[in-house]
Amino acid sequence: MLSAQERAQVAQVWDLIAGHEAPFGAELLLRLFTVYPSTKTYFKHLGDRPDEVQLLSHGQRVLEAVGVAVRHMDNLRAALSPLADLHAHVLRVDPTNFPLLIQCFQVVLASHLQGEFTVEMQVVWDKFLTGLAVVLTEKYH
Amino acid sequence: MVHFTAEEKAAITGLWGKVNVEEAGGEALGRLLVVYPWTQRFFDSFGNLSSPSAIMGNPKVKAHGKKVLTSFGDAVKNMDNLKGAFAKLSELHCDKLHVDPENFRLLGNVMVIILASHFGREFTPELQAAWQKLVAGVATALAHKYH
Repeated sequence: MLSAQERAQVAQVWDLIAGHEAPFGAELLLRLFTVYPSTKTYFKHLGDRPDEVQLLSHGQRVLEAVGVAVRHMDNLRAALSPLADLHAHVLRVDPTNFPLLIQCFQVVLASHLQGEFTVEMQVVWDKFLTGLAVVLTEKYH
Repeated sequence: MVHFTAEEKAAITGLWGKVNVEEAGGEALGRLLVVYPWTQRFFDSFGNLSSPSAIMGNPKVKAHGKKVLTSFGDAVKNMDNLKGAFAKLSELHCDKLHVDPENFRLLGNVMVIILASHFGREFTPELQAAWQKLVAGVATALAHKYH
C-alpha cells in the first residue's frame, strides 16, 4: 500500500516521536477527549477527567503500538493481529472513531513540527494511519 | 443549532485575527488536494495538479484558496447564525457546484491542521476543540440547503 519512499517518510517522522511516546500519546488522548468528548465512552476506566499520569500511561501504550506498526509496515496484518483481535472482540470501538484519532494525531504532529510539517508528511501519515485503522477494524465482522 | 460560549468565541476570533488569510487559504486548499486527491475532481480547469509541489505552487489553487478562506471569515463574524450566513453559498454548492458536503468536513479538518502548524503550542486542545466545532458548524451550514 505504501511505496518505499512513503515508508521512508513515515519512518523519518517516527524518528521525531520515538523516545517520546508517553508525552506524545498523552497529548493525543487529551486532544481526542477534549475535541471529541464522546470518545471518552471507551475509556470509562480512566474516569471523567483522566489525569496526567493516566494519559501518559495509556498514551504511551497507544504510541508504542504505532511504533510496532512503523517497524512492520510491510506486514501490518500479522504484526497487529493481536490488537485487531482486541479491538474486534473486546474493545469494539466503533470504526467512525478512528478518523477522529487520526485528525488529533495530525494536529499533534503539526503543532510540534510547525513549519517542518510538510504536505508530504501530512499525506503520508494520513495514508499510513488510515491503513492502520483498516487493519485494526478488519476482524469486526 | 451550534452554540459557542463566550470563551470559545474569544478564542476563535483571537486566533483568526492573526491568520494570514491569503497564505493560509492557498495552503488549506492545496493540502486538501494533495492529501485527499479525489477532491481534485472539482478543479479540472486549474491546470497542473500533477504533484504536491505543482499543487501547492499552482496560482489558481492559491487564488481560490484565498477566496474560500476569506468567505470563512464570515463564519467567524456570524458564529450565532452560521446557517443564515451560508445559505446562499449552500445553494451554490448544491445547485451549481455539485459538491458532496463531505468535502466541507475534509477541508475543515485540513484548516485545523494548518492552524496547528502555524500556531504550535499556542494551539491548545481547547482551541482545537473550538475550531473543530466551528468548521463542523460551517460544514453543516453549507450542507443545509441541499435538496
